[in-house]
Amino acid sequence: MKHDPTQVSASAAEAAYPLDMSGPELGDPIPADPSHRAYVTMLFNRHRVSLQRYLTRLVPPDDAAELVQESYYRLLRHGDMVRVDAMARSFLFQTATNLARDHHRRRASHRASFHVPIEEQEIAEEHLGPDEQLASEQTRRLLERAIAELPPDTRTVFLLHRFRDLTYPQIAEIMSLSGRTVARKMAEAIERLSAAMSEAT
Amino acid sequence: MNGPAGDFKAADWFAQSRSGAMDAAREQDWLQWIEADRHQQAYENCELAWELAAELRNSPTLASLLAGTDALVAQRRAARSAARPTWRRPVWQVALAASVLAVGVFAWLFTIRPVTAEYSTAVGEQRTLVLADGSSVVLNTDSLLRVAISRNLRDIELIRGEALFNVSHDPSRPFAVHALQGVTTAVGTQFDVEIIRDGAAVSVLEGTVTVGGSGAAASLPAVAVSAGNGVGYSPAGAVSDLRPAEVNRIQGWRTQRMVFNDIALETALAEYNRYTHTPIVLSSPALGSRHINGVFHIGDEAAFLSAMEQGLHLKATKGDTQTVLQPEAGYEP
Repeated sequence: MKHDPTQVSASAAEAAYPLDMSGPELGDPIPADPSHRAYVTMLFNRHRVSLQRYLTRLVPPDDAAELVQESYYRLLRHGDMVRVDAMARSFLFQTATNLARDHHRRRASHRASFHVPIEEQEIAEEHLGPDEQLASEQTRRLLERAIAELPPDTRTVFLLHRFRDLTYPQIAEIMSLSGRTVARKMAEAIERLSAAMSEAT
Repeated sequence: MNGPAGDFKAADWFAQSRSGAMDAAREQDWLQWIEADRHQQAYENCELAWELAAELRNSPTLASLLAGTDALVAQRRAARSAARPTWRRPVWQVALAASVLAVGVFAWLFTIRPVTAEYSTAVGEQRTLVLADGSSVVLNTDSLLRVAISRNLRDIELIRGEALFNVSHDPSRPFAVHALQGVTTAVGTQFDVEIIRDGAAVSVLEGTVTVGGSGAAASLPAVAVSAGNGVGYSPAGAVSDLRPAEVNRIQGWRTQRMVFNDIALETALAEYNRYTHTPIVLSSPALGSRHINGVFHIGDEAAFLSAMEQGLHLKATKGDTQTVLQPEAGYEP
């Protein structure tokens, strides 16, 4: 087989950590709906290589494999998922990011004191201390600068979608733009922010 | 362009994936694109930027950018609702149908428990908020508001002062504003609630609300109030008959103006004094029954006092804690 450097980490990890489809030992019962299980499994098989590579940028590689597994269980337990692939992938990556954040926080608090009650780890995203953030100081600074330097309308579209949970049609109405323009401005914003990410890593 | 160039195509697909508007064929194209080896990293970069940006929520820079955005939104919404007939909102409803679909999956983590927050303004300050459901609130001077919004409820409590609500339409969770022992309930509309000396005043600018007692006063009859009308209620929650909405006054304060249209001086001063720590008082209560007209910028004391002098021949004497108006020589009552 020809050596492809971009594929090495993903396929090696795949071999080392096969996805366990049998179900977790702990946690909430998994909903019985077999079509949900089938959908989540399909979704995973499709995106897990990408997801694992993504997580490797947030946590050490061994932990990333564990978090892929954990994300799968989370989605299995989350019964009423919308079965639209684009949204489902987004939801999957969000779930995995939250798990990575919990993981990171546990490590940080474990370093601080060897005994931290589990309840204290359930801190909302809004109240993160400096040790509990996934993004490094440098990444945060670059992202912040990228947002501040967006053209005003583009920035407004991005802020409303990212931080105010408004949908494209809602933003279109508020700003008197077409839905297509809102999507284009979102793309512009994401391009600038992802450029900041490649600068950071 | 600032900084290094990102991958526009990846960003474009990422933006489209969040539109809630991709049909099945488009989604196939999306999948094919992101699954190509040479695109994966660029697409993951977009996802990483999107997720990590959430952690900036509380940074001072972001907070000030968000405050600016919120103010802009409230402004545009107010302008739109003023220009729009009140009985037709088709675009909005389409937007909501789409929002249920798009927000549904992403928001579940955050909507199970109601998020409670308090917002306040100092004397003379006004503040615009956009709530989690898309509704906006403009808080007038010296006000305190408590907000609880979750998947099933939108519960607001006005503890002090006045607030103008622009409610996003959502019949599944009525928007309830509690003030004293009364509650104003709406599904999607624009209305103002003000706590005044002897109770509370509700004015409806758009749509319809119901006003009734809450808590211990819940058994008192509720009244439906439609656009252009208002009611008052006592601290105990007893609702008055319908009366005209205070449209001029509310549109005035929204644009930082006080509008006095043939109003008794004592009423005008009570309004003026809501926005200042150095109130204007009259040397004799008898002067209060004189009527005034005029539009003043909130906080523009000089213009207000000069109008008092020229129009009513009342001369101002400024002290540390208040300003006293008294008739010029020869103009005593």
